[in-house]
Amino acid sequence: MNEKPYNVDFRLSAEAMPKAFVLTDQNGSITFTNGQAEKLFLCKRNELIGKNIQTFISEKYHLIFSSFFSHIFNDKDVIPNTHTQRLFISKCNGKEVPVKIELNPLRSRKNSMVLIKIIETDEEWKANHPLHWIVESAPNSFILVDYSGQIVMVNKQTERLFGYTRGELIGKHMDILIPERLRAYHKKASREFYTNAQVRQMGVGRDLFGVKKDKTEVPVEIGLNPVKNNGAYYVLASIIDITERKKIEDELRLYTSRLENKNSELEQFTYIASHDLREPLNSIISLIELFIENKSQELGTDALHQLAYINDSVSRMRNLVTGLSDYARLGKNAEIERVDFNKVVEEVISDLKKIVADSKAKITVEELAVIPAMQIEIRLLFQNLISNALKYKSPNRDPEIKISAQKVKGGWQFAVSDNGIGIPYDQKDKIFILFQRLHGRNEYGGIGLGLAHCKKIIDLHDGKIWVESELNRGSIFYFFIPINN
Amino acid sequence: MKMKKVNGLNCILLVDDDEISNYLNRLVIEKSGVDVHVEVALNGFAALEYLNSSGQSDARPEPDLIFLDINMPRMNGWEFLNEYQKLKNKKKSDTSIAMLSSSIDIDDMDTALKKYELPLYIDKPLTTSKLEEVFGKCFPVRDN
Repeated sequence: MNEKPYNVDFRLSAEAMPKAFVLTDQNGSITFTNGQAEKLFLCKRNELIGKNIQTFISEKYHLIFSSFFSHIFNDKDVIPNTHTQRLFISKCNGKEVPVKIELNPLRSRKNSMVLIKIIETDEEWKANHPLHWIVESAPNSFILVDYSGQIVMVNKQTERLFGYTRGELIGKHMDILIPERLRAYHKKASREFYTNAQVRQMGVGRDLFGVKKDKTEVPVEIGLNPVKNNGAYYVLASIIDITERKKIEDELRLYTSRLENKNSELEQFTYIASHDLREPLNSIISLIELFIENKSQELGTDALHQLAYINDSVSRMRNLVTGLSDYARLGKNAEIERVDFNKVVEEVISDLKKIVADSKAKITVEELAVIPAMQIEIRLLFQNLISNALKYKSPNRDPEIKISAQKVKGGWQFAVSDNGIGIPYDQKDKIFILFQRLHGRNEYGGIGLGLAHCKKIIDLHDGKIWVESELNRGSIFYFFIPINN
Repeated sequence: MKMKKVNGLNCILLVDDDEISNYLNRLVIEKSGVDVHVEVALNGFAALEYLNSSGQSDARPEPDLIFLDINMPRMNGWEFLNEYQKLKNKKKSDTSIAMLSSSIDIDDMDTALKKYELPLYIDKPLTTSKLEEVFGKCFPVRDN
């Protein structure tokens, strides 16, 4: 019996449907079927048309099916796509498989029909099982290979990575994805893998490549997992495209070598500053002193003044050069050890006791921390901060200095506060720059080194230093030292 | 000026390529009033040559004290010290070497004091007080 003359559009859409379906009349007699249904039942269209759908339902489900069928048909309020039934169908080769059947009655004036969708529950299970779509949507390419090296399964990412479709890969030897020059190595490695099968990273320490359909190579990282299923051995290869990582690694290597060059340049510069530049300066200073000593009788007051200025300038230059190399050398060879900040501060104050007494300063030290740090550098830090607090004291009151510490998230925060002259707000950041001074040399001495040193010391500890200050009221220098677990 | 004598010190060898330094150092030594012969070598190699030929005449006495610079052409201070250690000179043990350099690099100081076990590292310029310190350390006054 032939199909009813459905129009072309309907036929084409029916064939394009991904699911198997048939149309029956109200008695269950099949009037139409699509290609998917032929595949499912394993028989040709003309073997299906005209037969009753009941013929293809497993015997033990006949009763269930017929009551389901008549119910759906007689119920006028049925909502489409909501009536499903799980049962077994009997294929044309006699094999019975579990399916889910969905009935949709289609009513028109002329006649009534039923649209029956049949979904193999194995298929459904696969399509809906989380593992299936996890594998499909994974960012890694997965390739399942059997003992002989034949590709059994690939996922979506494999198609993307290598440019082949699934159909082009399954059943092929996996060599198709390996550059020719690496095949021999791969063969040897996979033999070893089978003799000692365990989860492992492939080719650790060497560069691995895959080859795409267009013959271009792609750097990859491969993990191997032995898999046993129904007594057969497989290997699941998980492949990551590392093109980007390689690019970044190359860039990093370049930057590192540039930095190393810059660094050794700086080191040379430091050495030159600490030796070559100081030598002629020292000579000039000595010669001027000698000259003044021997010739002072013959020189006029003007000449002696000018010589004194020359001497001052050269001495200052020597101090700057020394300061520069001190700054550069800071932290060189320094080691992190447990530092008792209480003890360090106590020693620093003891070193400064003459200045402390002369300035009538009152210094309060709260309980500080014992944490890993660079001992000598931390000492220099406190020396600078406390000396500064004494040096920049207010002319109107005796200095009061308070040193405290508190545990904060990720480390310790220290504070050195004073009641000195303070720092104008807009100068707050400038003070940490090398050789930056806020006062004339005749007001306060120094070359602008102390706080630059402090900043570098804190940088060496990956910490942070800042100041809060009010002009004519005082300053609080804070610094934070992180603690790494 | 009345000249004084430091016990055990008859000759000082200045090893430095900078002639101004040598001139100034010689002046400082003279100013200190110590009666001592001063010789100059312009690099490590010249210093070795002097040492090899010294002691045979009064004109070239063996040095009891060497002031050694680091940066010099041909043979620098460190290279000189390496060669000096190989010298077979019975008087060598009586000779003191002090580093006299413009370098305040901590590595240089460590190398001189720890690796070569020199008694002193002096930061240029040499002054009479620094000189007194060297004499005190290398030629202590012995009670007879």
